[in-house]
Amino acid sequence: MTRLAIHQLGKTYADGTEALRDINIQADTGEIVAILGGSGCGKTTLLRLVAGLDQASSGTISVGGQVLTGTHPAISAVFQEPRLLPWLTTGANIAFGGGRLTARDRQARTTALLDRVGLAGYASRWPRELSGGQQQRVAIARALIGHPEILLLDEPFSALDPVTRASLHELLLDLWRDLRPTILMVTHDVEEAVVLADRIVVMRPKPGRVHDVLPVDVPRPSDKALPIFDLMKRRVTSAIDRSLADDRPPGLKSGSLWLSPWV
Amino acid sequence: MKLAWPAPWITGLILPLTLGVAWELAVRHGMMSGRLMPPPSRLAASAWTLARSGDLAVHALATLGRVAIGFACGAVAGTMLGMLTGANVTARRLLDPSVQAVRAIPSIAWVPLFILWLGIFETSKLTLIGLGVFFPVYLGVLSAIQGVDRKLIEVGRVFGLSVMSIALRITWPAVLPSWIASLRTGLGLGFMFVVAAELMGASEGLGYLLLDGQQMGRADTILVAMIVFALLGKAADGLLVAVSRPLLCWQDTARTRL
Repeated sequence: MTRLAIHQLGKTYADGTEALRDINIQADTGEIVAILGGSGCGKTTLLRLVAGLDQASSGTISVGGQVLTGTHPAISAVFQEPRLLPWLTTGANIAFGGGRLTARDRQARTTALLDRVGLAGYASRWPRELSGGQQQRVAIARALIGHPEILLLDEPFSALDPVTRASLHELLLDLWRDLRPTILMVTHDVEEAVVLADRIVVMRPKPGRVHDVLPVDVPRPSDKALPIFDLMKRRVTSAIDRSLADDRPPGLKSGSLWLSPWV
Repeated sequence: MKLAWPAPWITGLILPLTLGVAWELAVRHGMMSGRLMPPPSRLAASAWTLARSGDLAVHALATLGRVAIGFACGAVAGTMLGMLTGANVTARRLLDPSVQAVRAIPSIAWVPLFILWLGIFETSKLTLIGLGVFFPVYLGVLSAIQGVDRKLIEVGRVFGLSVMSIALRITWPAVLPSWIASLRTGLGLGFMFVVAAELMGASEGLGYLLLDGQQMGRADTILVAMIVFALLGKAADGLLVAVSRPLLCWQDTARTRL
């Protein structure tokens, strides 16, 4: 069942810059859709429009058939930086996301989520006392405390080291199996997209458009040693390279020494 | 073996004590005039005389009362107007240029006008002190609100907070460190302006004591009043820091606290 429907979405800024044109993406209930593409292809702009932080110039975004006009209680987000409120303790930061819950539910969910993200006993710590990975765990817990139907992820693991990133991938999938939110995530990391997503939307720049949509046929949990995992990565990389082909400088078209940033 | 550095408050006493001893010795050995530069022993005797007669307490309390009332009025007005102009673009465009223009007038220049408008008694003095406190608090709140991280505001929006909730739960805590810093600046200026206010014509207060010392040729009285000013100012600032410390314990700064 389609949970999130983005239809003919466009965004043009006041200075005339067209960031997005005719974006059409559907995500079913519990589906994970990753958005990949080169710099400036409007990935984050798209996520901001879905989050209700910016207004679209054309088209619609709907959740369960209801067209959005701003932020929506069913939508939550994790940003590139943890964006924890430094004056709130870890527990209070998680509880901050549960404003619509009763006080008792909020407290119970905070305790449960602290445990789930591996930070039991950290409730009274300040954000400054946590590592980057721990802060991002808190941000994920804060985003999930209110039982969102749709979770938006804007490159939330990009600033983390590979080991921490892998552990957060596992944590995210673990939480997703329990709560089954629809996830729309932006990433620069092809491997991350293949590990996490059911479908990968490749975007092309100037203006941002959907270039290709690739279903991910790798079973979860992903075994990176399987040939199909590498095959999927190559397919995605190739799609991204094709999406950027028009942007390459003359003389660096297909077959020349273009160094792909995706491999 | 590493030598332990003494406690901060002892460290802070090293310079004044050293200067005091040097001063005392210089006067006793005839290197300085004791009449114009009364040594610490003479200052202590004068302070004791003033304290025993009750005059020192009367003057100090009068000054403290004026600073407290003027500071409260200036801080409240500066905070309210700073919040208004910081949060509302129309209010900022309408009010801020005029406030900045008034700020450029040296506050002492208001003295004749205040006396003319409000008389020689308490109202004009309190208004002058309030004016001195108002500007740093206003500027501190205004610039702090404008400097609040947009990304934190977006967190509030994503989680469905109303404009009022964002103001109370995100903007205000984010502004708090700058607000407290501006209050400390304002308090310091409050003590500066109370002297000007009491020199305008007062029958009691440390500023009056300064003027009295000058007219009577008593350098020791002037210096005692100055030392009491320094002690009261430091104590008031320390009180403000102590009260605000629990509100800022979350800060991730070099000192983690004020």
